[in-house]
Amino acid sequence: MGIDNQFLLIFSSGLFVALAASFLGAFVVAKRMALVGDVLSHVALPGIGLALVFGYDPIYGAAAFLLLAAFGTWFIERKTELPPEAIIGTFFTATLALGVILVPNEELFESLFGNLFAIKPQDAAIIMAVSFIIFILTIMLSRRLTIGIVAPDLAKSAGFKPDLSYLGFLLLFALSVALGIKLIGSVLMGALTILPAVSARNFSWSLKSFLSFSVILGLIMTGAGIFISNYFNFPPGPTVILTGIIFFVISLLFKK
Amino acid sequence: MAEPILKVKDVSVSFDNQEVLKDISFSVNEGDVLAIVGPNGAGKSVLFRVLMDFIPYDGEIKWRNDVKIGYVPQKFFEKSELPLTVREFFVLKSKNLFFKDKKFSDSVSHELKSVGLDPEILDKQLAHLSKGQSQRALIAWAILGHPNVLLFDEPTAGIDLAGEDTIYNLLHKMKDERGLTVLIISHDLNVVYRYADSVLCINKERICFGPPKRELTGENIKQLYGESAFYQHGH
Repeated sequence: MGIDNQFLLIFSSGLFVALAASFLGAFVVAKRMALVGDVLSHVALPGIGLALVFGYDPIYGAAAFLLLAAFGTWFIERKTELPPEAIIGTFFTATLALGVILVPNEELFESLFGNLFAIKPQDAAIIMAVSFIIFILTIMLSRRLTIGIVAPDLAKSAGFKPDLSYLGFLLLFALSVALGIKLIGSVLMGALTILPAVSARNFSWSLKSFLSFSVILGLIMTGAGIFISNYFNFPPGPTVILTGIIFFVISLLFKK
Repeated sequence: MAEPILKVKDVSVSFDNQEVLKDISFSVNEGDVLAIVGPNGAGKSVLFRVLMDFIPYDGEIKWRNDVKIGYVPQKFFEKSELPLTVREFFVLKSKNLFFKDKKFSDSVSHELKSVGLDPEILDKQLAHLSKGQSQRALIAWAILGHPNVLLFDEPTAGIDLAGEDTIYNLLHKMKDERGLTVLIISHDLNVVYRYADSVLCINKERICFGPPKRELTGENIKQLYGESAFYQHGH
C-alpha cells in the first residue's frame, strides 16, 4: 500500500485535530468533565444530518450544533446551577434521537465513528488552520482556565472572570470536536480529547509537564493510529483510539 | 478621623428566598484588624463573598477607591486533577504562564520568606503541602502584588495550635509592617481579644459591633452562640 495524497491529507489534518483536542483535553480532564465532553460530542449528530439534508459540508452543521450546545450548557449551568453533566445528559438523548432521524442511514454509522467522507485538500487546509488557531487560543486561555479550575474564588478575588474563560473553553472544545468529525467521528472525538490527558496525568509532576505530555501523546497516538489504519485498511477513528488505549495502559506503569 | 476604608450599610443577602444576612452595617478604618465572629452558618463567609462582589446583595458596600484586596480562602487545595506545583500556582498570578520572569519570581521568593516558607517549596506539588504550609502559601499568594486589604477566612480546624499562633503573629506583623487592613473571620475569641481592633458579631443579623473588650460581653456571646456557649475570657 503506497502513501498517496489522500493518506497525507488525513495524516496531516489528523495531527492538527489531535493537537487542539489533546491540549483542550488536559483541561477537560482537570475540570472533571470527561464524560460531559464525551456526550457533548454527540450533539454534533443532528447538525451533521441537517447539513447533509441541505447539501452543506457536515463539518459546518456539526460546528453550529456543537457551538450552540456549548453555549447552551454554559448558559443553563449559570442560570440553574445544575451540574453540566445533567444538562448535557438531558439534551443528549434528544439530539441523538434527532440525529438518527436526520442522518441518512448509510452515513449514520460513519458520522458516529469517522471515516465518513474523503478529505479534500481545502478541507484539510481549513481543519489545520482552525485547529492551530484553537491551539493558540487555548494557550492564551491556559492561565485563566487553570486558576478557575484550581480555585475559582481566588481567581475572582484576583480579578479574573472564571465564568467567561469557561465559556471560551467550551466553545473551543466544541469547535475542536467538529473538526474531528470527518476523521475520527463524533463518538470517538470525546475519547481522542481525554485519552492523551488521562495517560499524561499518570506521569506528570507539574502543570507544564501535564500539558506537554497530553499534546505529545495526542500527536503520537493519532499519527501511529492513522499509519496503522492505513496499513491494515482499518477506519482511522477506532484505530487511533485503540492506539491511545495502549498508551494509557503503559502510562499506568508509571503511576506510583 | 480619616475616611473609613470600608463602609457597609444595611447589607442583606438571600438564597432562594431565605435570608442569609440581614441588614448588616459596619465600617473599617485603614490599618485596623476587624474580626468577624459567629456560629457556623451565621453567614460569615457569605459576608466575605459579598464584600468581594462575588454574589448579589441588597444594601450598600463602599470600599475606598484605592483599595486592592488580597483574599485567603478557608480551604483550598481540594484534590485537584491538575498537578500544579507551588511555583506554577504563583505564576498563575503573573501575566506570563509560559515564560520565566525574573522580577516576578524574586517577589514570589520574597513573599514566601515573609510568611516563613522556604523558597525550596516552589518545586513541590501543591497537593503535597501540609495544611500549615498551604495556609502560608495562600497568604503569600494573597499578599503578592501588595494589596492594602487582606480578607482572611480562618480555617475552623486542621492547623495545630503552635501553627495557629504564628499565623496570627504573622498577620499582626503584616499589619504593622505594611499597614494592611485585615478582615478576619475567626473562631477563637481569645485571638479576637488579642489581635482585633474591632469585632463584628453576626448570626444572620448583627449582634454586636465595636471594640472587642466592650462588645464581647457575656450577654452578647450568649446571644451569639446560644445559652450553652461556654466562654472564658483569658488575659
